[in-house]
Amino acid sequence: MTEPVIEPDIMRMSWGPQHPMSGQTRILLDIDGEKVHRIIADLGFTHRGIEKILENRTFLQGIIPMERMVMADTPNIGLGYVMATEEAMGIEVPERANWIRSMICEMARINSHLYAFGLQAESTGYFPAVFLWTTVDRTIILRLFEELTGARWSLNFFMPGGVHKDLPKGFEDKVIEGVEYLRRRFEQYWVAMVENATFELRCDHVGVLKPEDAIRLGATGPVLRGSGIPIDVRKDEPYAAYGDLDFEVITESACDSMARTKVRYREIGQSLDIMEQVANEVPSGPIRTNVPLFARAKAAEVLSRVETARGEMGVHLFTDGGMNPYRVKIHSPTLRNMYVFERLAELDEILVADIPVLINSIDPWYLDSDR
Amino acid sequence: MNIVLTLWKFIIEFLTVNAKPLLQIIVLPGLLWVIVYAIIAVWFERKFLARAMLRVGPYYCGGRFGWLQLIADFIKLFFKEMIIPRDVNTFFFLLMPVLLPSVPALAVILIPFASDWVLWNVGSLGMPMFFAIAGIAPLIPVFAGWASNNKYTFIGAWRVAYMYISAEIPMVLCAASVAIMVGSFDLVVIARAQENMWFFIPQFIGFVIFFLGVMIQSERTPFDMPGAETELVLGWRTEYSGVLYGFVMFTEYVALQAWALMFLTLYLGGFNGPVLFGATTASHIFWLVIKFVLLVTLVILLRVIFPRLRMDQMLKLGWQYLTPLAILNLVITLALKLWGVY
Repeated sequence: MTEPVIEPDIMRMSWGPQHPMSGQTRILLDIDGEKVHRIIADLGFTHRGIEKILENRTFLQGIIPMERMVMADTPNIGLGYVMATEEAMGIEVPERANWIRSMICEMARINSHLYAFGLQAESTGYFPAVFLWTTVDRTIILRLFEELTGARWSLNFFMPGGVHKDLPKGFEDKVIEGVEYLRRRFEQYWVAMVENATFELRCDHVGVLKPEDAIRLGATGPVLRGSGIPIDVRKDEPYAAYGDLDFEVITESACDSMARTKVRYREIGQSLDIMEQVANEVPSGPIRTNVPLFARAKAAEVLSRVETARGEMGVHLFTDGGMNPYRVKIHSPTLRNMYVFERLAELDEILVADIPVLINSIDPWYLDSDR
Repeated sequence: MNIVLTLWKFIIEFLTVNAKPLLQIIVLPGLLWVIVYAIIAVWFERKFLARAMLRVGPYYCGGRFGWLQLIADFIKLFFKEMIIPRDVNTFFFLLMPVLLPSVPALAVILIPFASDWVLWNVGSLGMPMFFAIAGIAPLIPVFAGWASNNKYTFIGAWRVAYMYISAEIPMVLCAASVAIMVGSFDLVVIARAQENMWFFIPQFIGFVIFFLGVMIQSERTPFDMPGAETELVLGWRTEYSGVLYGFVMFTEYVALQAWALMFLTLYLGGFNGPVLFGATTASHIFWLVIKFVLLVTLVILLRVIFPRLRMDQMLKLGWQYLTPLAILNLVITLALKLWGVY
């Protein structure tokens, strides 16, 4: 990255990668005392060439590197690629498989939002109580994943034509048990964190992103919905079984960091509802259409859209009739939200202490933005 | 032979004559108490916080309750490599951590642990001396942060300066109100005056302000901005490693001790309490230590409930709320003194 020139009387501070809160990325802050004049995100700092790797894998093998993009949210990311392949190959997915896909995607969304929620508490200097609680509560989801797929994080469970395995016996009851437990816990989170007066002081009116700015800068996911714009691919262009499921698109009108946190909090409630619905009403039938191991796709150009935990992800897939994709272009949600984050210093007055709150309010996953 | 005998006699005589001051220097407000307290406090904080958050805390080291954990940590810190970055001002960088704990420790020895147990009894200079010594404290982090030659430490150092000043002025005003009420700066006299009624009742505004001040001066959450981990790595402490880091962390607890003891002496009766078994001095010390442990527990517990404030919010609190309230408290005290209520 070519770094912009430093203005006179301004100090340039590195916020990461050697920083307890930054993660793997590198962000530069131009500061004057405590005030942040400019945020420069070093996009591409963690580039791993996933798009290129996918070109050298068959469609089935490609799911594995694809899921490495966002480890907290592997099913949603994997589903984007799987859906694109299915469209290119012209495969129909059985209804039961679609329902199971929806349930797993929602479980992953809860997993990811819990992580974001805990980090948001951590970023305000809340001694790691809430972060540890959310980490423990993720175990409920991870145990269900383990029982279903054998893996806890990178599931590789979706494949072109359906899902890998059917639900084990008694799995539905365990899902409902887990949902009830998580609902009880969420009431405690609301009291301990969202209603905490000091937490409100730190998050209210911080990093205000007006609806018109959110659209202009291309925000997506909870950041966009936190600015009061109800856009959700699950509703607008239903995939998997979302057309048959009953849920709401969550929006908050406050447009600040607190609103984004609340959107995540309430979205977890909706995801729990969806999990319960699927567990109660999942239709019976086959779980997979058989697809040859080294399937070839006809020459095509397809685009699939999925709503991941961080926002809308697009997979633009070009095939040339071979066993591998010719080119894959991934349009990742964190990249779009990082552009928003960079502009926040111009839109609102920001202090150094607000930076961790803001960066966690957009819930970045740097490997996702840099691919 | 004669010389050895004379020397031996002299040592025995010296020890018998100076038994009390020696005991004070080595054991109670002195070296042993400060070190043992800091070690126990760190362990207690970790274990107690863990229980308050439904965790277990240190567990394996020492068999039960992880009681050896802090000793193990201390040994580890002592033998770790001490990294001195290339571009630091080495003299100040090395000097400051050594000076750090000595300033609050100097303040501790002014506190009366019993009516006749004061290590450094300066009489009517007690309170001004305490605030004079405490006033030096913020200079050391500022120097340390500047000497470290790092952007995080530099911002952290200036946060220390802003924060301590905004807290110290209301605290001095509140302490002055107490002194006006009693009519003396002598800490023993102030503590004795609370035999019938602890001063947190007539001086309630001062009590609240001083408590917040204790939290601010000892950098406890929600006022731990100078070392805000998520913003400035470790603030002005960032560059210290190994045994220097040990010193720096140790200071935090000594500072908490100095301010907490002052707070107890001014508002919560100091060493006053029922005399047990007819031993006045022992029971005075006992009650002060009991009150101190309870206060430290409360301060630690607050860490579970509060996120950190922002720097501007903290300064607003100090200058817009605490200082005017402290002045109001002072005016009320003066008026009541004038009308002869106190």
